[in-house]
Amino acid sequence: MRHLIPEFDRLKARFPEGFESSLLLPCVRRIQEDRGFVADSDIDGLVEYLGVPRIQIEEVLSYYTQFRRAPVGRWHVQCCRNITCSMRGAERLIDRLAQRLGVAPGQTTTDGRFTLSTVECLGSCGTAPVVMINEKYHENVNIEALETLLTGLD
Amino acid sequence: MPGTPLLMTFPVTATSHLLEDYRARGGYVTLGKVLAGMRPEEVTKEVAAAGLLGHGGAAFSAGRKWGVVHLDDGQQHFLCANADEGEPGTFKDRWILEHAPHLLIESMLIASFALQVRHAFVYIRGEFDLPYRRLAAAVEEAYAAGYLGAPDPGTGFTCDLVVYRGAGSYVCGEASGLLSSLEGKRGYPRNRPPRLTVRGLYQRPTVINNVETLANVTGIIAHGAAEYRKVGTAKSPGTQLVSISGHIARPGVYEVEYGYPLTRFLFEDCGGMLPGHTLKCIVPGGISTKVLTAAECEGVTYDHASLEAAGSSLGSGGMIVIAEGTCMVRLLQVLLRFYHHESCGQCTPCREGMGWMHRIIDRIVAGKGRAEDIEQLYAISMMNDGTTICGMGDAAGYATVGILNKYRDEFIHWIEHGSSRCDGRLEATAHA
Amino acid sequence: MPEIFINGTAVQADASQTVMQAAQASGHFIPYFCWHPQLSVAGNCRICTIQVEGRSWVEIACNMPVAEGLRVLTDSDLVRAHRKQVMQLLTLNHPVDCGICDKAGECSLQDYHYAYNGTASVSRDPKVTSTKFHDLSERIVLDNERCILCTRCVRFTREISKSNALGVIHRGDASLLRCAEDHALDADPYSDNVIDLCPVGALLSRPFLYKARVWYLQPTASVCPGCARGCTVQIWHRKDEWKLRALDPAQNNEIARVTPLDNPAVNGPWICNKGRDLASLLGRPRAEQAMHKGAPADLVAAIALARQLLAGASKPVALVSSWGSNEELTAFRDTLGGRCTVFVKRDREPEEGERIEDDILIRADKNPNAAGARALFGDASLRAPEYTDDTDLVLVWGEGCNFADLPPKAKIIFLNAWLQPENGHADVFIPLSIQTERAGHYTNADGVVSAFERCFAAQDTVAHAQELFAALAGDRSD
Repeated sequence: MRHLIPEFDRLKARFPEGFESSLLLPCVRRIQEDRGFVADSDIDGLVEYLGVPRIQIEEVLSYYTQFRRAPVGRWHVQCCRNITCSMRGAERLIDRLAQRLGVAPGQTTTDGRFTLSTVECLGSCGTAPVVMINEKYHENVNIEALETLLTGLD
Repeated sequence: MPGTPLLMTFPVTATSHLLEDYRARGGYVTLGKVLAGMRPEEVTKEVAAAGLLGHGGAAFSAGRKWGVVHLDDGQQHFLCANADEGEPGTFKDRWILEHAPHLLIESMLIASFALQVRHAFVYIRGEFDLPYRRLAAAVEEAYAAGYLGAPDPGTGFTCDLVVYRGAGSYVCGEASGLLSSLEGKRGYPRNRPPRLTVRGLYQRPTVINNVETLANVTGIIAHGAAEYRKVGTAKSPGTQLVSISGHIARPGVYEVEYGYPLTRFLFEDCGGMLPGHTLKCIVPGGISTKVLTAAECEGVTYDHASLEAAGSSLGSGGMIVIAEGTCMVRLLQVLLRFYHHESCGQCTPCREGMGWMHRIIDRIVAGKGRAEDIEQLYAISMMNDGTTICGMGDAAGYATVGILNKYRDEFIHWIEHGSSRCDGRLEATAHA
Repeated sequence: MPEIFINGTAVQADASQTVMQAAQASGHFIPYFCWHPQLSVAGNCRICTIQVEGRSWVEIACNMPVAEGLRVLTDSDLVRAHRKQVMQLLTLNHPVDCGICDKAGECSLQDYHYAYNGTASVSRDPKVTSTKFHDLSERIVLDNERCILCTRCVRFTREISKSNALGVIHRGDASLLRCAEDHALDADPYSDNVIDLCPVGALLSRPFLYKARVWYLQPTASVCPGCARGCTVQIWHRKDEWKLRALDPAQNNEIARVTPLDNPAVNGPWICNKGRDLASLLGRPRAEQAMHKGAPADLVAAIALARQLLAGASKPVALVSSWGSNEELTAFRDTLGGRCTVFVKRDREPEEGERIEDDILIRADKNPNAAGARALFGDASLRAPEYTDDTDLVLVWGEGCNFADLPPKAKIIFLNAWLQPENGHADVFIPLSIQTERAGHYTNADGVVSAFERCFAAQDTVAHAQELFAALAGDRSD
């Protein structure tokens, strides 16, 4: 993470003084964008850079669903299964994804290309069902659209 | 359009979210007016006079919340817009973040002036990608234009704005959980007292308003409280951005004037049910509000008092429309799975209760329900009624009790027969 | 001073108090798990609910500020119903394995179950299982199934010991108490306080694990001799009526465990791990045989010989023990003090790896009563011992003296409790009793005097220093 410190310093400038602890979430997010996950050495680096206790970082990493300490597949396919998405067909999408990728939600394909996850409401109920692939939302997804989407991923 | 709009007053185009377009619509003029000629307490007074209510769910008066902050207490004050829109069925603030980010920024600057805030924050849920990019870009435009980060030549007022991204936690939408998260910790809600306006972010007085609540501030200051009160009802002035989804023909975000007839909104503005379906019930304002059956929707107007009289509440404006044939047992299963997943685990009733309810409903759906399960779900709901640190325990209980009260027969059927009376379906259309 | 009413009784409260604090101070009991007088308010267990008169809901007492005229009920029907619900929730997935839990007998969950619940679980579903026998540290075993996530231990490491060692990872009912991955709890010399703080049987002492049911033990008030703080402690040992005759009778005279004795003037409710480990410090091999130039001697004969040597010495020097009680030190001053040049000896020095000093409890001087000795023998007695050419006798009281530093021609009388090589190098060696075999007082570095009581009987082959000095000073010569 050390190469990101200049970025972190710029971030810090927008925060009031004494807000080092607040930088934890944005720093972790940036590290994860950079590496794909948060490594043990990143935690050590953050302890040093932010001066927060190590346990706080471990708590935060395990509490928030978006943070991870192990790599995921190149394409992280997250299908919302909350109420509106389920009412618009998400449960069938999840079944199809599991079948097509050959993994259950929470697992990664053996070739490391896909990780399948289910998530709770992504705030896209008006265009349900929604599938999030890496950072991007794909809305109003039906089985056909899903096939097209997956085919387009390398 | 369901009544007079206050926010959706411009056509959305490919550039309508940009500073140039916003200025062409009169953007940042109100901020200039405030800085040139108003005192902070006058701004708060105007907001209070307008009767602006919180649009995030609790409907607390924004003016009264602001009034708690003492401008001369010698402390730092903070303002935070709550953009952690995570209540299932709710996606209304996305519209502001994606299409009117500068309206939010201008409003936050006016609010920051009123509350003497040097550093303001927008806490936005981590999954929101486009809304974040739109808002972050708008913030950079506002910095470049000198609205943010630079002292106002007349008053010296300076304000920085940080867009802070969450990372996947429903309870961070609760104001104190949000502050815990903004302090770089788990999103554990805090016990009250103290109120957050007394000891909030890093123990300093902090005002947290919903995005839509804040977005209305610019209009109120621009046109005056009296103009604002001309829209809506006496008790619920203004409008609500309603996000509507489910088995409805035209889902999306609509701006609804308070007092607008509910069924007219559903059947005219939103195009009614999906073809071939009839209305079973609605979740009026996010899943934590009690369901209203089709019959109960009759005669209801879309405002706080009317929805409360009907036995529910307006909540976060996230309306879910449910068609006949939808299995309410499965629906409750989805809700309880969600609450179980999102309980922060801090206090006993919610930590233990959510998992308990989830396990019971899973067992019912697996065909192993027992006669006492329904009473047990009621009992656990009551164990969470007003006994938890934040409102999540209550909310799960309300949702459960609402569904059990009205669709008990579906639960009895599944328990007695080991299967759903409606094929266990949540989808509106039969599938092959 | 607001006046509040608890169950109708007027209580004078301090304006800064919570209802819980005001109730505690006035002898009204409100149950609690997560609340602790020395820790911040977490308000998570929800057992301390009370009802404000006239309200139809319950609120938690630990986070409710007092207000003039506030009227609360701690035992209304609503409160009782709610407490019962909380107990149902807390025991929902708790294993209720009291039969094999060391906490049984002193467990809040157990006590409150009888007081506020008293019925079986209303759930008939299988319990959710979790981690058992998790090593939270080398010293502490965690059972996550028993843990009620009150976070007292977490707050202790953040607010009191400042090691920030503990936290709660994951969320919801999957939440787990854990130590930071760098094992910070191993480096926290106050870690074992979390065992006492744990209101249930989730955190247990590895050395004490399955050693004794607590109802077979009795606590004796004592003072930790580990440093000049002089923390008051309770030494737990087998009750007389439960003494073992078969099995392992040695246990009858062993320290089973040590816990803090709450003392606002000295240590509050805490002690450090060294205090917990008094069993090893005081359980070292003992000297039980008097000796004359390394050869076993009868205790009475050895005392007589020592008295003779003292009577014959012209310039005796005494190195008195900073582990002596005030009573023993006074006895020395009153008997031999006038005849000897007195230096106070530091019996023990910091051990390798031991925390030397901090601003919590631990003091650099690893002896309990240097302050008591200084009060009796003066500041000068604390300097390094000085000998002259005509020093013809040195009386060494207690361990920690290197005999090579003593004048070669001087006779040595050595009084020591421990089995150590020096014992045989003295002209006369007399074994002494230790702290747990007698009563007395220590004066700590801040001048606070604390008492310790006798736990065990001494062997009759060892002498009590307090009586010994009078015998050594007797003017009758043989």
